[in-house]
Amino acid sequence: MTDVAAGVLALGVALFLGVYLVSVLDRFVSDLVAGHGLTANVFWAGPRRAVLLLLQQPSRTERPDAEAWAFAPALLGALGALGLATIPLAPELPLADNADGIVLFGAAMALVMVAVFLHGWSANSVFPLIGAYRFVALALSYEMPLALVLISAALPAESLSVGEIIRSQTDVWNVIRQPLGLPIYMVTVAGLAFWGPLRLPDAADLSGGTRAEVSGPALAAWEVGRSMVLVAAAAMGAAAFLGGWLGPWLPGVVWMGLKTLVLLVLIVWSGHHLARVRTERFVVVAWVVLIPLALIDVFLSGWLALAAR
Amino acid sequence: MTIGTDHAPLFADVLFWMLAVGSVLAGWRVFRADSMVRAAYWLLASFAGTAGILLLLHARFLGLILLLMMAGEMTIMAAFMVMFMMNPAGLNPMNMVHQHRTAIIAGVGAFLGLAAVGVFGEFPARPLLDASQVTADLGVELLGDSMMVFETAGVALLATMIGSIALAAHRGRFGPADEGSEPPALVPEAETVRPGDSRDEEQS
Repeated sequence: MTDVAAGVLALGVALFLGVYLVSVLDRFVSDLVAGHGLTANVFWAGPRRAVLLLLQQPSRTERPDAEAWAFAPALLGALGALGLATIPLAPELPLADNADGIVLFGAAMALVMVAVFLHGWSANSVFPLIGAYRFVALALSYEMPLALVLISAALPAESLSVGEIIRSQTDVWNVIRQPLGLPIYMVTVAGLAFWGPLRLPDAADLSGGTRAEVSGPALAAWEVGRSMVLVAAAAMGAAAFLGGWLGPWLPGVVWMGLKTLVLLVLIVWSGHHLARVRTERFVVVAWVVLIPLALIDVFLSGWLALAAR
Repeated sequence: MTIGTDHAPLFADVLFWMLAVGSVLAGWRVFRADSMVRAAYWLLASFAGTAGILLLLHARFLGLILLLMMAGEMTIMAAFMVMFMMNPAGLNPMNMVHQHRTAIIAGVGAFLGLAAVGVFGEFPARPLLDASQVTADLGVELLGDSMMVFETAGVALLATMIGSIALAAHRGRFGPADEGSEPPALVPEAETVRPGDSRDEEQS
Protein backbone atom coordinates (compact mmCIF):
# COMPACT_ATOMS: atom_id res chain seq x y z
CA MET A 1 0.00 0.00 0.00
CA THR A 2 2.94 2.33 0.64
CA ASP A 3 4.03 1.81 -2.99
CA VAL A 4 0.66 3.06 -4.17
CA ALA A 5 0.84 6.10 -1.87
CA ALA A 6 4.39 6.90 -3.04
CA GLY A 7 3.31 6.55 -6.67
CA VAL A 8 0.32 8.84 -6.24
CA LEU A 9 2.49 11.37 -4.43
CA ALA A 10 5.10 11.26 -7.22
CA LEU A 11 2.35 11.70 -9.81
CA GLY A 12 0.95 14.69 -7.94
CA VAL A 13 4.38 16.32 -7.66
CA ALA A 14 5.12 15.67 -11.35
CA LEU A 15 1.77 17.14 -12.41
CA PHE A 16 2.16 20.20 -10.19
CA LEU A 17 5.71 20.87 -11.40
CA GLY A 18 4.73 20.23 -15.00
CA VAL A 19 1.77 22.61 -14.98
CA TYR A 20 3.82 25.32 -13.25
CA LEU A 21 6.64 24.79 -15.74
CA VAL A 22 4.24 25.19 -18.66
CA SER A 23 3.03 28.52 -17.24
CA VAL A 24 6.63 29.72 -16.76
CA LEU A 25 7.66 28.61 -20.25
CA ASP A 26 4.63 30.22 -21.84
CA ARG A 27 5.33 33.53 -20.16
CA PHE A 28 9.06 33.27 -20.90
CA VAL A 29 8.59 32.68 -24.63
CA SER A 30 5.91 35.38 -24.79
CA ASP A 31 8.26 37.92 -23.10
CA LEU A 32 11.08 36.89 -25.41
CA VAL A 33 8.91 37.39 -28.50
CA ALA A 34 7.61 40.74 -27.25
CA GLY A 35 11.18 41.94 -26.58
CA HIS A 36 10.58 42.57 -22.88
CA GLY A 37 13.52 42.11 -20.62
CA LEU A 38 13.40 38.89 -18.68
CA THR A 39 12.13 39.59 -15.18
CA ALA A 40 11.09 37.55 -12.17
CA ASN A 41 7.55 38.10 -13.45
CA VAL A 42 8.05 34.96 -15.52
CA PHE A 43 7.81 32.92 -12.32
CA TRP A 44 4.81 34.71 -10.85
CA ALA A 45 2.57 35.33 -13.85
CA GLY A 46 1.01 31.85 -13.77
CA PRO A 47 0.23 31.64 -10.04
CA ARG A 48 -0.99 35.27 -10.06
CA ARG A 49 -3.41 34.49 -12.87
CA ALA A 50 -4.59 31.37 -11.04
CA VAL A 51 -5.36 33.38 -7.89
CA LEU A 52 -7.11 36.05 -9.96
CA LEU A 53 -9.29 33.45 -11.66
CA LEU A 54 -10.12 31.77 -8.34
CA LEU A 55 -11.37 35.12 -6.98
CA GLN A 56 -13.34 35.94 -10.13
CA GLN A 57 -17.09 35.62 -10.32
CA PRO A 58 -18.24 32.58 -12.31
CA SER A 59 -20.35 33.64 -15.26
CA ARG A 60 -23.56 31.93 -16.32
CA THR A 61 -25.39 31.51 -19.60
CA GLU A 62 -29.06 30.97 -20.33
CA ARG A 63 -30.04 27.36 -19.61
CA PRO A 64 -26.66 25.65 -19.84
CA ASP A 65 -26.22 21.94 -19.18
CA ALA A 66 -24.77 22.82 -15.79
CA GLU A 67 -23.68 19.29 -14.82
CA ALA A 68 -21.81 18.63 -18.06
CA TRP A 69 -20.30 22.12 -17.94
CA ALA A 70 -18.89 21.52 -14.47
CA PHE A 71 -17.86 17.96 -15.34
CA ALA A 72 -15.79 18.87 -18.44
CA PRO A 73 -12.79 20.58 -16.72
CA ALA A 74 -12.67 17.85 -14.07
CA LEU A 75 -12.67 15.20 -16.80
CA LEU A 76 -9.91 16.97 -18.75
CA GLY A 77 -7.67 17.20 -15.68
CA ALA A 78 -8.39 13.59 -14.70
CA LEU A 79 -7.46 12.42 -18.20
CA GLY A 80 -4.21 14.37 -18.07
CA ALA A 81 -3.38 12.75 -14.72
CA LEU A 82 -4.39 9.30 -16.02
CA GLY A 83 -2.22 9.77 -19.10
CA LEU A 84 0.80 10.74 -17.00
CA ALA A 85 0.15 7.84 -14.62
CA THR A 86 0.79 5.35 -17.44
CA ILE A 87 4.36 6.63 -17.84
CA PRO A 88 7.07 5.29 -15.53
CA LEU A 89 9.07 8.44 -14.78
CA ALA A 90 12.05 6.43 -13.54
CA PRO A 91 12.84 2.69 -13.28
CA GLU A 92 12.42 2.87 -9.51
CA LEU A 93 9.05 4.63 -9.78
CA PRO A 94 6.91 2.27 -11.87
CA LEU A 95 3.53 3.79 -11.10
CA ALA A 96 0.87 1.72 -12.88
CA ASP A 97 3.39 0.37 -15.39
CA ASN A 98 0.82 -2.16 -16.51
CA ALA A 99 1.15 -4.47 -19.47
CA ASP A 100 -1.13 -2.31 -21.62
CA GLY A 101 0.04 1.14 -20.54
CA ILE A 102 0.18 2.63 -24.00
CA VAL A 103 -3.41 1.52 -24.72
CA LEU A 104 -4.52 3.15 -21.45
CA PHE A 105 -2.73 6.34 -22.54
CA GLY A 106 -4.50 6.14 -25.92
CA ALA A 107 -7.88 5.65 -24.24
CA ALA A 108 -7.31 8.63 -21.91
CA MET A 109 -6.28 10.84 -24.82
CA ALA A 110 -9.27 9.70 -26.90
CA LEU A 111 -11.58 10.81 -24.09
CA VAL A 112 -10.09 14.33 -24.27
CA MET A 113 -12.41 14.78 -27.23
CA VAL A 114 -15.40 14.10 -24.97
CA ALA A 115 -14.18 16.64 -22.38
CA VAL A 116 -13.61 19.43 -24.92
CA PHE A 117 -16.82 18.74 -26.81
CA LEU A 118 -18.89 18.75 -23.60
CA HIS A 119 -17.14 21.92 -22.43
CA GLY A 120 -18.14 23.78 -25.59
CA TRP A 121 -21.52 22.19 -26.08
CA SER A 122 -22.97 22.54 -22.60
CA ALA A 123 -22.59 26.33 -22.38
CA ASN A 124 -25.60 26.70 -24.72
CA SER A 125 -23.88 29.51 -26.55
CA VAL A 126 -22.80 30.01 -30.18
CA PHE A 127 -19.03 30.47 -30.08
CA PRO A 128 -18.35 27.65 -27.59
CA LEU A 129 -20.52 25.35 -29.72
CA ILE A 130 -18.55 26.15 -32.89
CA GLY A 131 -15.35 25.55 -30.92
CA ALA A 132 -16.71 22.17 -29.76
CA TYR A 133 -17.46 21.02 -33.32
CA ARG A 134 -14.09 22.31 -34.45
CA PHE A 135 -12.38 20.14 -31.88
CA VAL A 136 -14.29 17.06 -33.03
CA ALA A 137 -12.97 17.64 -36.58
CA LEU A 138 -9.48 18.26 -35.19
CA ALA A 139 -9.54 15.24 -32.89
CA LEU A 140 -10.83 12.82 -35.52
CA SER A 141 -7.93 13.95 -37.71
CA TYR A 142 -5.06 13.71 -35.20
CA GLU A 143 -6.26 10.57 -33.45
CA MET A 144 -5.30 8.12 -36.22
CA PRO A 145 -1.70 9.35 -36.71
CA LEU A 146 -1.31 9.53 -32.91
CA ALA A 147 -2.39 5.92 -32.44
CA LEU A 148 -0.29 4.71 -35.38
CA VAL A 149 3.00 6.31 -34.26
CA LEU A 150 2.50 5.02 -30.71
CA ILE A 151 1.88 1.52 -32.10
CA SER A 152 5.11 1.88 -34.11
CA ALA A 153 6.98 2.78 -30.92
CA ALA A 154 5.58 -0.36 -29.26
CA LEU A 155 6.63 -2.67 -32.13
CA PRO A 156 10.39 -2.98 -31.35
CA ALA A 157 9.56 -3.53 -27.67
CA GLU A 158 7.06 -6.29 -28.57
CA SER A 159 5.08 -4.99 -25.61
CA LEU A 160 2.36 -2.46 -24.87
CA SER A 161 3.96 -1.54 -21.55
CA VAL A 162 5.57 1.89 -21.54
CA GLY A 163 8.40 0.64 -19.32
CA GLU A 164 9.23 -2.08 -21.87
CA ILE A 165 9.11 0.48 -24.69
CA ILE A 166 11.69 2.59 -22.84
CA ARG A 167 13.90 -0.47 -22.13
CA SER A 168 13.78 -1.44 -25.82
CA GLN A 169 15.54 1.85 -26.63
CA THR A 170 18.70 1.03 -24.65
CA ASP A 171 20.82 0.73 -27.80
CA VAL A 172 19.17 3.27 -30.05
CA TRP A 173 16.31 5.67 -29.37
CA ASN A 174 13.11 5.45 -31.36
CA VAL A 175 13.61 8.99 -32.60
CA ILE A 176 16.55 7.67 -34.66
CA ARG A 177 15.26 4.27 -35.73
CA GLN A 178 11.77 5.64 -36.48
CA PRO A 179 12.50 9.12 -37.87
CA LEU A 180 8.87 9.69 -38.85
CA GLY A 181 7.54 9.00 -35.35
CA LEU A 182 8.43 12.01 -33.23
CA PRO A 183 7.58 14.75 -35.82
CA ILE A 184 4.14 13.25 -36.45
CA TYR A 185 3.65 12.73 -32.71
CA MET A 186 4.48 16.38 -31.95
CA VAL A 187 1.88 17.60 -34.48
CA THR A 188 -0.73 15.39 -32.84
CA VAL A 189 0.28 16.63 -29.37
CA ALA A 190 -0.38 20.22 -30.50
CA GLY A 191 -3.86 19.04 -31.51
CA LEU A 192 -4.40 16.95 -28.39
CA ALA A 193 -3.66 19.81 -25.99
CA PHE A 194 -5.05 22.33 -28.56
CA TRP A 195 -1.86 24.30 -28.20
CA GLY A 196 0.08 26.48 -30.63
CA PRO A 197 -0.91 26.40 -34.30
CA LEU A 198 -3.68 23.89 -33.51
CA ARG A 199 -5.32 26.00 -30.80
CA LEU A 200 -8.59 25.79 -32.72
CA PRO A 201 -11.45 25.05 -30.27
CA ASP A 202 -10.73 28.06 -28.06
CA ALA A 203 -9.03 30.29 -30.60
CA ALA A 204 -9.12 34.08 -30.58
CA ASP A 205 -11.00 34.12 -33.90
CA LEU A 206 -13.94 32.52 -32.05
CA SER A 207 -13.74 35.04 -29.19
CA GLY A 208 -12.33 32.28 -27.01
CA GLY A 209 -14.38 29.41 -28.45
CA THR A 210 -15.19 26.72 -25.91
CA ARG A 211 -14.07 28.95 -23.03
CA ALA A 212 -15.80 32.10 -24.28
CA GLU A 213 -18.51 31.86 -21.60
CA VAL A 214 -16.35 30.47 -18.80
CA SER A 215 -14.77 32.55 -16.06
CA GLY A 216 -13.52 32.19 -12.52
CA PRO A 217 -12.52 28.86 -10.94
CA ALA A 218 -13.99 26.84 -13.82
CA LEU A 219 -11.68 28.61 -16.27
CA ALA A 220 -8.70 28.09 -13.96
CA ALA A 221 -9.56 24.37 -13.75
CA TRP A 222 -9.90 24.21 -17.53
CA GLU A 223 -6.51 25.80 -18.19
CA VAL A 224 -4.80 23.63 -15.57
CA GLY A 225 -6.43 20.55 -17.12
CA ARG A 226 -5.24 21.55 -20.57
CA SER A 227 -1.68 22.01 -19.26
CA MET A 228 -1.91 18.60 -17.58
CA VAL A 229 -2.83 16.96 -20.88
CA LEU A 230 0.12 18.76 -22.52
CA VAL A 231 2.52 17.59 -19.80
CA ALA A 232 1.25 13.98 -20.08
CA ALA A 233 1.59 14.03 -23.87
CA ALA A 234 5.10 15.53 -23.72
CA ALA A 235 6.18 12.94 -21.12
CA MET A 236 4.82 10.17 -23.35
CA GLY A 237 6.80 11.63 -26.27
CA ALA A 238 9.94 11.54 -24.13
CA ALA A 239 9.22 7.94 -23.10
CA ALA A 240 8.18 6.56 -26.48
CA PHE A 241 10.72 8.32 -28.72
CA LEU A 242 13.53 9.82 -26.63
CA GLY A 243 14.36 6.86 -24.44
CA GLY A 244 12.60 8.07 -21.28
CA TRP A 245 14.87 7.72 -18.25
CA LEU A 246 17.81 6.34 -20.27
CA GLY A 247 20.94 8.46 -20.18
CA PRO A 248 24.40 8.59 -18.63
CA TRP A 249 25.58 10.17 -15.33
CA LEU A 250 22.34 11.78 -14.16
CA PRO A 251 19.56 9.89 -12.33
CA GLY A 252 16.80 8.53 -14.58
CA VAL A 253 14.07 10.86 -13.35
CA VAL A 254 16.24 13.89 -14.24
CA TRP A 255 16.72 12.62 -17.80
CA MET A 256 12.99 12.03 -18.07
CA GLY A 257 12.33 15.59 -16.85
CA LEU A 258 14.86 17.12 -19.24
CA LYS A 259 13.51 15.28 -22.28
CA THR A 260 9.96 16.22 -21.36
CA LEU A 261 11.11 19.82 -20.96
CA VAL A 262 12.59 19.89 -24.47
CA LEU A 263 9.30 18.71 -25.99
CA LEU A 264 7.32 21.18 -23.85
CA VAL A 265 9.56 24.04 -25.03
CA LEU A 266 8.93 23.01 -28.65
CA ILE A 267 5.15 23.08 -28.26
CA VAL A 268 5.04 26.28 -26.18
CA TRP A 269 7.47 27.95 -28.62
CA SER A 270 5.19 27.03 -31.53
CA GLY A 271 2.33 28.78 -29.73
CA HIS A 272 4.08 32.13 -29.98
CA HIS A 273 5.77 31.73 -33.38
CA LEU A 274 3.50 29.81 -35.73
CA ALA A 275 0.22 31.03 -37.16
CA ARG A 276 -3.00 29.22 -36.38
CA VAL A 277 -3.87 26.59 -38.99
CA ARG A 278 -7.39 26.58 -40.39
CA THR A 279 -9.45 23.55 -39.31
CA GLU A 280 -10.25 22.46 -42.88
CA ARG A 281 -6.62 22.67 -43.87
CA PHE A 282 -5.46 20.60 -40.93
CA VAL A 283 -8.11 17.96 -41.59
CA VAL A 284 -6.89 17.62 -45.19
CA VAL A 285 -3.22 17.55 -44.15
CA ALA A 286 -3.93 14.95 -41.44
CA TRP A 287 -5.88 12.55 -43.65
CA VAL A 288 -3.88 13.00 -46.85
CA VAL A 289 -0.34 13.39 -45.49
CA LEU A 290 -0.04 12.40 -41.82
CA ILE A 291 -2.01 9.13 -41.87
CA PRO A 292 -0.17 7.69 -44.91
CA LEU A 293 3.17 8.77 -43.37
CA ALA A 294 2.17 7.18 -40.06
CA LEU A 295 1.23 3.96 -41.90
CA ILE A 296 4.65 3.95 -43.60
CA ASP A 297 6.12 4.40 -40.10
CA VAL A 298 4.19 1.34 -38.86
CA PHE A 299 5.33 -0.82 -41.80
CA LEU A 300 8.98 0.26 -41.57
CA SER A 301 9.08 -0.14 -37.78
CA GLY A 302 7.44 -3.56 -37.99
CA TRP A 303 9.86 -4.65 -40.71
CA LEU A 304 12.86 -3.42 -38.70
CA ALA A 305 11.57 -5.10 -35.55
CA LEU A 306 11.12 -8.40 -37.39
CA ALA A 307 14.54 -8.09 -39.02
CA ALA A 308 16.15 -7.45 -35.62
CA ARG A 309 14.72 -10.66 -34.08
CA MET B 1 -17.03 -15.04 -11.52
CA THR B 2 -13.40 -14.88 -12.55
CA ILE B 3 -11.75 -12.24 -10.50
CA GLY B 4 -8.13 -11.24 -10.62
CA THR B 5 -5.80 -12.81 -8.12
CA ASP B 6 -4.15 -9.50 -7.24
CA HIS B 7 -7.41 -7.89 -6.03
CA ALA B 8 -8.90 -8.62 -2.67
CA PRO B 9 -12.12 -10.55 -3.48
CA LEU B 10 -14.37 -8.25 -1.45
CA PHE B 11 -12.92 -5.14 -3.08
CA ALA B 12 -13.39 -6.67 -6.53
CA ASP B 13 -16.99 -7.66 -5.70
CA VAL B 14 -17.86 -4.17 -4.48
CA LEU B 15 -16.25 -2.65 -7.58
CA PHE B 16 -18.06 -5.09 -9.86
CA TRP B 17 -21.49 -4.27 -8.40
CA MET B 18 -20.82 -0.53 -8.53
CA LEU B 19 -19.80 -0.75 -12.17
CA ALA B 20 -22.66 -3.08 -13.09
CA VAL B 21 -25.36 -1.01 -11.39
CA GLY B 22 -23.77 2.19 -12.76
CA SER B 23 -23.82 0.78 -16.30
CA VAL B 24 -27.48 -0.17 -16.09
CA LEU B 25 -28.42 3.21 -14.57
CA ALA B 26 -26.51 5.07 -17.29
CA GLY B 27 -28.19 2.88 -19.90
CA TRP B 28 -31.57 3.80 -18.42
CA ARG B 29 -30.62 7.51 -18.57
CA VAL B 30 -29.98 7.14 -22.33
CA PHE B 31 -33.72 6.73 -22.81
CA ARG B 32 -34.67 9.47 -20.34
CA ALA B 33 -32.34 12.11 -21.85
CA ASP B 34 -33.99 14.79 -23.95
CA SER B 35 -31.02 15.60 -26.17
CA MET B 36 -28.98 13.57 -28.60
CA VAL B 37 -25.64 14.64 -27.13
CA ARG B 38 -26.75 13.75 -23.60
CA ALA B 39 -28.10 10.39 -24.78
CA ALA B 40 -24.83 9.61 -26.60
CA TYR B 41 -22.69 10.43 -23.57
CA TRP B 42 -24.92 8.49 -21.15
CA LEU B 43 -24.37 5.55 -23.47
CA LEU B 44 -20.62 6.26 -23.27
CA ALA B 45 -20.88 6.21 -19.46
CA SER B 46 -22.65 2.86 -19.69
CA PHE B 47 -19.86 1.51 -21.91
CA ALA B 48 -17.27 2.89 -19.49
CA GLY B 49 -18.83 0.77 -16.73
CA THR B 50 -18.67 -2.28 -19.00
CA ALA B 51 -15.03 -1.47 -19.77
CA GLY B 52 -14.35 -1.35 -16.04
CA ILE B 53 -15.86 -4.84 -15.63
CA LEU B 54 -13.64 -6.10 -18.48
CA LEU B 55 -10.63 -4.65 -16.65
CA LEU B 56 -11.72 -6.50 -13.49
CA LEU B 57 -11.81 -9.71 -15.57
CA HIS B 58 -8.19 -9.03 -16.62
CA ALA B 59 -9.28 -8.46 -20.22
CA ARG B 60 -7.28 -5.22 -19.99
CA PHE B 61 -6.72 -4.70 -23.70
CA LEU B 62 -10.39 -5.28 -24.54
CA GLY B 63 -11.57 -2.96 -21.76
CA LEU B 64 -9.22 -0.13 -22.72
CA ILE B 65 -9.91 -0.50 -26.45
CA LEU B 66 -13.64 -0.38 -25.70
CA LEU B 67 -13.12 2.91 -23.88
CA LEU B 68 -10.82 4.28 -26.62
CA MET B 69 -13.20 3.38 -29.43
CA MET B 70 -16.40 4.49 -27.70
CA ALA B 71 -15.02 7.96 -26.87
CA GLY B 72 -14.74 8.76 -30.56
CA GLU B 73 -17.73 6.75 -31.67
CA MET B 74 -20.23 8.32 -29.29
CA THR B 75 -19.11 11.82 -30.29
CA ILE B 76 -19.40 10.94 -33.99
CA MET B 77 -22.80 9.38 -33.35
CA ALA B 78 -23.98 12.53 -31.57
CA ALA B 79 -22.68 14.72 -34.42
CA PHE B 80 -24.41 12.55 -37.05
CA MET B 81 -27.69 12.50 -35.12
CA VAL B 82 -27.56 16.28 -34.77
CA MET B 83 -26.88 16.62 -38.50
CA PHE B 84 -29.67 14.28 -39.60
CA MET B 85 -32.19 15.60 -37.08
CA MET B 86 -31.66 19.26 -38.02
CA ASN B 87 -31.38 20.18 -34.37
CA PRO B 88 -28.34 22.40 -34.74
CA ALA B 89 -27.00 22.29 -31.22
CA GLY B 90 -28.50 19.18 -29.78
CA LEU B 91 -29.26 21.28 -26.71
CA ASN B 92 -32.91 21.83 -27.61
CA PRO B 93 -35.04 19.42 -25.60
CA MET B 94 -36.66 16.86 -27.86
CA ASN B 95 -38.44 13.54 -27.54
CA MET B 96 -35.82 10.87 -28.07
CA VAL B 97 -37.97 7.72 -28.00
CA HIS B 98 -40.45 6.24 -30.42
CA GLN B 99 -42.12 2.85 -31.15
CA HIS B 100 -42.54 2.34 -27.41
CA ARG B 101 -44.09 -1.12 -27.39
CA THR B 102 -41.60 -2.67 -29.86
CA ALA B 103 -38.68 -1.03 -28.10
CA ILE B 104 -39.79 -2.18 -24.64
CA ILE B 105 -40.43 -5.77 -25.79
CA ALA B 106 -37.08 -5.93 -27.64
CA GLY B 107 -35.17 -4.37 -24.74
CA VAL B 108 -36.68 -6.52 -21.98
CA GLY B 109 -36.39 -9.63 -24.18
CA ALA B 110 -32.72 -9.01 -24.93
CA PHE B 111 -31.96 -8.28 -21.27
CA LEU B 112 -33.71 -11.43 -20.05
CA GLY B 113 -32.08 -13.55 -22.75
CA LEU B 114 -28.56 -12.33 -21.94
CA ALA B 115 -29.24 -12.54 -18.20
CA ALA B 116 -30.45 -16.15 -18.64
CA VAL B 117 -27.20 -17.00 -20.46
CA GLY B 118 -25.23 -15.35 -17.67
CA VAL B 119 -27.11 -17.04 -14.82
CA PHE B 120 -27.81 -20.52 -16.24
CA GLY B 121 -24.88 -20.88 -18.63
CA GLU B 122 -21.95 -23.13 -17.77
CA PHE B 123 -18.70 -21.21 -17.78
CA PRO B 124 -15.32 -22.93 -17.64
CA ALA B 125 -13.54 -22.17 -14.35
CA ARG B 126 -9.97 -21.73 -15.55
CA PRO B 127 -7.88 -19.50 -13.30
CA LEU B 128 -5.75 -17.03 -15.21
CA LEU B 129 -2.11 -17.95 -14.66
CA ASP B 130 -0.40 -15.20 -16.64
CA ALA B 131 -2.43 -12.02 -17.12
CA SER B 132 0.04 -10.56 -19.62
CA GLN B 133 -0.62 -13.50 -21.96
CA VAL B 134 -4.26 -12.42 -22.52
CA THR B 135 -3.41 -9.68 -25.03
CA ALA B 136 -1.05 -11.96 -26.97
CA ASP B 137 -3.72 -14.69 -27.13
CA LEU B 138 -6.21 -12.15 -28.38
CA GLY B 139 -3.82 -11.03 -31.14
CA VAL B 140 -3.18 -14.61 -32.25
CA GLU B 141 -6.92 -15.25 -32.34
CA LEU B 142 -7.68 -12.07 -34.32
CA LEU B 143 -5.04 -12.80 -36.97
CA GLY B 144 -5.35 -16.60 -36.79
CA ASP B 145 -8.48 -18.73 -36.83
CA SER B 146 -10.92 -15.82 -36.62
CA MET B 147 -9.16 -13.60 -39.17
CA MET B 148 -11.79 -14.12 -41.87
CA VAL B 149 -14.66 -13.12 -39.55
CA PHE B 150 -12.97 -9.99 -38.24
CA GLU B 151 -11.60 -8.87 -41.61
CA THR B 152 -15.06 -9.28 -43.20
CA ALA B 153 -16.63 -7.23 -40.42
CA GLY B 154 -13.83 -4.66 -40.68
CA VAL B 155 -14.19 -4.20 -44.45
CA ALA B 156 -17.99 -3.98 -44.11
CA LEU B 157 -17.60 -1.26 -41.46
CA LEU B 158 -15.08 0.61 -43.61
CA ALA B 159 -17.49 0.51 -46.56
CA THR B 160 -20.25 1.88 -44.30
CA MET B 161 -17.99 4.68 -43.14
CA ILE B 162 -17.01 5.65 -46.69
CA GLY B 163 -20.66 5.52 -47.70
CA SER B 164 -21.81 7.77 -44.85
CA ILE B 165 -19.00 10.24 -45.61
CA ALA B 166 -20.00 10.28 -49.29
CA LEU B 167 -23.59 11.02 -48.23
CA ALA B 168 -22.67 13.68 -45.68
CA ALA B 169 -19.83 15.38 -47.54
CA HIS B 170 -20.22 18.77 -49.10
CA ARG B 171 -18.72 17.39 -52.32
CA GLY B 172 -21.02 14.40 -52.64
CA ARG B 173 -21.53 12.00 -55.52
CA PHE B 174 -23.98 14.41 -57.16
CA GLY B 175 -21.78 17.49 -57.01
CA PRO B 176 -21.56 20.26 -54.42
CA ALA B 177 -24.33 20.04 -51.85
CA ASP B 178 -25.34 23.70 -52.08
CA GLU B 179 -25.73 23.85 -55.88
CA GLY B 180 -28.53 22.72 -58.11
CA SER B 181 -31.21 22.51 -55.45
CA GLU B 182 -34.52 24.11 -56.32
CA PRO B 183 -35.94 26.58 -53.80
CA PRO B 184 -39.74 26.42 -53.55
CA ALA B 185 -41.76 28.85 -55.68
CA LEU B 186 -43.34 31.88 -54.03
CA VAL B 187 -46.70 31.23 -55.68
CA PRO B 188 -48.15 27.71 -56.06
CA GLU B 189 -47.53 26.17 -59.49
CA ALA B 190 -45.21 29.03 -60.49
CA GLU B 191 -41.63 28.63 -61.74
CA THR B 192 -38.86 28.56 -59.15
CA VAL B 193 -37.01 31.82 -58.68
CA ARG B 194 -33.40 31.56 -57.59
CA PRO B 195 -31.78 34.48 -55.80
CA GLY B 196 -29.39 35.08 -58.73
CA ASP B 197 -32.15 35.06 -61.37
CA SER B 198 -33.75 38.42 -60.58
CA ARG B 199 -32.68 40.05 -63.88
CA ASP B 200 -34.41 37.35 -65.97
CA GLU B 201 -37.51 37.90 -63.90
CA GLU B 202 -37.61 41.63 -64.73
CA GLN B 203 -37.21 40.98 -68.47
CA SER B 204 -40.07 38.48 -68.63
